[in-house]
Amino acid sequence: MNLIPGANSASQGLRAEQVRLEVISQNIANARTTKTADGGPYQRQSVRFKAALGDAMAAQSSSSAKNEPTLEIVRDPRPAVRVYQPGHPDSDKEGFVAYPAINIHEEMADLISANRSYEANIAVMRNGRALAQQALSIGKR
Amino acid sequence: MTEALFGSVNYMAEKRSLDACVERQRALASNIANLETPGFRRMDVPAQFRSQLSEAVRRQDVSSMNTLRPNAVIDSSAPARTPDGNSVNLTDELVAMQDNGLEHSLHIQMISGRMSRLRAAISGRMS
Repeated sequence: MNLIPGANSASQGLRAEQVRLEVISQNIANARTTKTADGGPYQRQSVRFKAALGDAMAAQSSSSAKNEPTLEIVRDPRPAVRVYQPGHPDSDKEGFVAYPAINIHEEMADLISANRSYEANIAVMRNGRALAQQALSIGKR
Repeated sequence: MTEALFGSVNYMAEKRSLDACVERQRALASNIANLETPGFRRMDVPAQFRSQLSEAVRRQDVSSMNTLRPNAVIDSSAPARTPDGNSVNLTDELVAMQDNGLEHSLHIQMISGRMSRLRAAISGRMS
């Protein structure tokens, strides 16, 4: 049963933005991590929203509920930043330490944008609920 | 028998418009959810639906109104906002959603009004 119009899309959008927030916080928390389980420095991760264009074409017949964003988490291919720090326990033979290529400003800007998108989806939810409540009042005296 | 009560052209048109509002809300929700999906083109109920509906009202044609369905389609007139071709503009979508909400309550009031007029006619007293 789907009483609230657009609730499916909005909840998928909320979930997607939540994952994005989690990935950003992980990046910020690991901005200086030089050693991970696989040996190297932490690698920045980012969220890629998969193109729903094909779905949109297929779902032209009013079942636009199928038309929701899906996402995957991908690794950023940018190479690690090498800093000369001979005393560091993770430094290589020449005294360089590989730090993850994380730009805190980039992460913060991304964080704000994810936040705004989350709020927009909340607004959709609130509007859909208002519509459903009005529809339930049809015929009331 | 109820056809005579609820089969009038205006009443049917109200119901169709209400359907269009709900479909539009769905389309706008999917637009906002896909705000950051690369290449996503915004969807909307085409203006053509409204003109078809008013044409049917003008001709007093109930049968063609019954087959009229509001379907959200890709809005090809919207310009791309980002280099990847995404055409969703958050402000426009939110404004459209407020607009749609008001239109929805208008249709709800029209339908409820018709029902209360019928009730008044049946019972003979204004409630």
